[in-house]
Amino acid sequence: MDALVSKYGGSDLDDLNILEEDEDEVTSSLPQSVSFILPPIDSPAKFLRAMTDDHTNPSAPIKLKHGTTTLAFKYQGGVIVCTDSRATQGSWIASQTVKKVIEINPYLLGTMAGGAADCQYWLTYLGMECRLHQLRHKRLISVAAASKILANLVYSYKGMGLSMGTMLTGVGHGGVFGLYYVDSDGNRVEGNLFCVGSGQTFAYGVLDRGYKWDLTDEEALELGRRSILAATHRDAYSGGYLNLYHIQKDGWVHHGFDDTNPVFWKQKLEKGEFQNVSTSLD
Amino acid sequence: MSNPFTLNGGACLAMAGKDCVAIACDLRLGQQALTLSNNFPKIFNYGDVFLGLTGLATDVQTMHSLFRYKVNLYRLREEREIEPETMANLVSSSLYERRFGPYFVSPVVAGINQRTGKPFICGFDSIGCIDFAKDFIVSGTASDQLFGVAEGLWEPDLEPEDLFETVSQTLLNSLDRDALAGWGAHVYIITKDKVTKRLLRTRQD
Amino acid sequence: MASSYLLPHSQPNVHPTTASQPRQHHWSPYTENGGCILGIAGKDYVIIAGDTRSSEGYSINTRTARKVYDIGSGLILGVVGMSADGEELVRKVARKIDDYKRNHDKHITVAAAAVMLSRILYQKRFFPYYCQPLLGGLDEEGVGAIYSYDYVGSFEREQSRAYGAAASLITPFLDNQINFKNQFVPGSNGEEPRPKVDLSKEQVEKIVKDAFTSAVERHIEVGDGLQLVTIVKGVRAEGEEEDEDEREKTAGGGVISEVMSDLKKD
Repeated sequence: MDALVSKYGGSDLDDLNILEEDEDEVTSSLPQSVSFILPPIDSPAKFLRAMTDDHTNPSAPIKLKHGTTTLAFKYQGGVIVCTDSRATQGSWIASQTVKKVIEINPYLLGTMAGGAADCQYWLTYLGMECRLHQLRHKRLISVAAASKILANLVYSYKGMGLSMGTMLTGVGHGGVFGLYYVDSDGNRVEGNLFCVGSGQTFAYGVLDRGYKWDLTDEEALELGRRSILAATHRDAYSGGYLNLYHIQKDGWVHHGFDDTNPVFWKQKLEKGEFQNVSTSLD
Repeated sequence: MSNPFTLNGGACLAMAGKDCVAIACDLRLGQQALTLSNNFPKIFNYGDVFLGLTGLATDVQTMHSLFRYKVNLYRLREEREIEPETMANLVSSSLYERRFGPYFVSPVVAGINQRTGKPFICGFDSIGCIDFAKDFIVSGTASDQLFGVAEGLWEPDLEPEDLFETVSQTLLNSLDRDALAGWGAHVYIITKDKVTKRLLRTRQD
Repeated sequence: MASSYLLPHSQPNVHPTTASQPRQHHWSPYTENGGCILGIAGKDYVIIAGDTRSSEGYSINTRTARKVYDIGSGLILGVVGMSADGEELVRKVARKIDDYKRNHDKHITVAAAAVMLSRILYQKRFFPYYCQPLLGGLDEEGVGAIYSYDYVGSFEREQSRAYGAAASLITPFLDNQINFKNQFVPGSNGEEPRPKVDLSKEQVEKIVKDAFTSAVERHIEVGDGLQLVTIVKGVRAEGEEEDEDEREKTAGGGVISEVMSDLKKD
């Protein structure tokens, strides 16, 4: 930890060389102007955990926002991304209108789970790096490279208390679709289908049941929507609005930010699902 | 770490009006984040008196059985229905019997005194301290939210239909800001000679 | 030297145990000063209101603490949490907004200021400011904007937001009265939601006062006075004279005014 403190605590970052054009930005992309202020004690990470981790210490003074269901899956027509929009601090619903899909650029999306600020900040920073890549190499960055920039970045902060579980997805140069799960522990996994967050198991239940590669666009969008709806119903910490995106060859398309309430009742009353919910007394 | 009062989730609210009272609750039974049931009412009636119980679900059920037993015995011995004031004292003394190993519940009593026709509501802490109120009583995981909305919406001497609207709006908007309560709601409007029970359609997330 | 004075806690030849080791965790740089703020954005105005009590535990430090600040360039910032961190944050933001004006020879927009504030908060990601800020201003179209933040800089533009001790009491009331949540068109059998309308500044001010008087009844950390700061396009508060030429036009063309009123002091 002392090594980390001396690395990020002072102004050493100013001494980092400016990236050369040929240098591989995947391995050496620390932000130059950023230096984070640390508490004046031996173990900043322990301090941060004592102050912010309301899971092990419910009376922690700083309650970060939690709770989420997010999903993304690849299929023949591209990638579907869908999330809920609830942010909770303990059992308090702090917001029902969080944008958990972060539009990095017209070709890349990142999903938000864990610390909202960490996701917002580092995915915005990633957008900057992707733009620089584009300017240096005169072509779009691949999703593989973009996700690796992010993974290496958060790995360099490992143990400092960052909290993020993000799915990075989009279309790279040559129209190649990519989908990666990246988290603050340093994991970076490629895959066809991921659900992340407190409601992930509920979403997996519906998604796995209906998933196949040959889904049509309409079926795929509906499956994404329905999976999140199931999670919002059973998971107390997920809810609010359904935020739906489709990634095609030429970039992403937004398919609405819809209140779950009318969607739920339509699903129940018109399709006869969710029969566990009663509509009349006895 | 796990707090028995917030393990299962749930909320309850009682309000007094002009010659009427209302009591309402949500229908959720959960285990932490997981919703187990959306049909777990927390209001029970014993003759003319209504009791709302929020907190640990097992204690909610146990206390319901206990009061059914006690009120039945009362009825046999006294040959009349129990009045809300008497019920309040029965609840209080029953809770205090377990002073050093309490039931993890926050009860609410509501009813009309059949002899005087006076509306009566009160609430309790888990060891039986009675909170007599002339406006409203809240309990459960959404109690902060209920306090805020009720304080803003309640006014004295509401007629039954207006009281229903006030209670419903208070409960609904509070539930929508609490992750552990919701998933349907029951509202009782009680006048001297009539009880109306309604199911509210709420958000299901 | 030979006569060794026993120092406090010194126990020679004893292995350190968990209990005898220094425990850094007891270093606690944060205090909670209570209070509550509330921001609402309208079609052509912004309101941020705050109570004026500042407390520590059961003690009241002062009954006249302002929580909403004019930070220049037609923007306002409300802070609640730890007042020391809050004031430091306000100073820092105000300074940076002034820098921006001097460097670029124009006023910062509320959207740019919002990102700037986010970066200031995130810079202390590993030693956060213990305060929750609400930024208010008129955007370039003159439409009211409230930006809400968490402790480490995640932010969102919103219509209304309450922060602080009584946020859990006020927020659901606001959902109902400002956003008409759970209200339906009469006779539609709960099918058709009551349509949203742009409430006037006067209507909203009334709701804000109601919200605070309710919160004061049920929360001990809220009370004493109400500071109501508004930004309205181009007009001063009543009775206030001003020279048209002297007023620099801010990005949203907003003018800030403040009204103080009483809340219960018990």
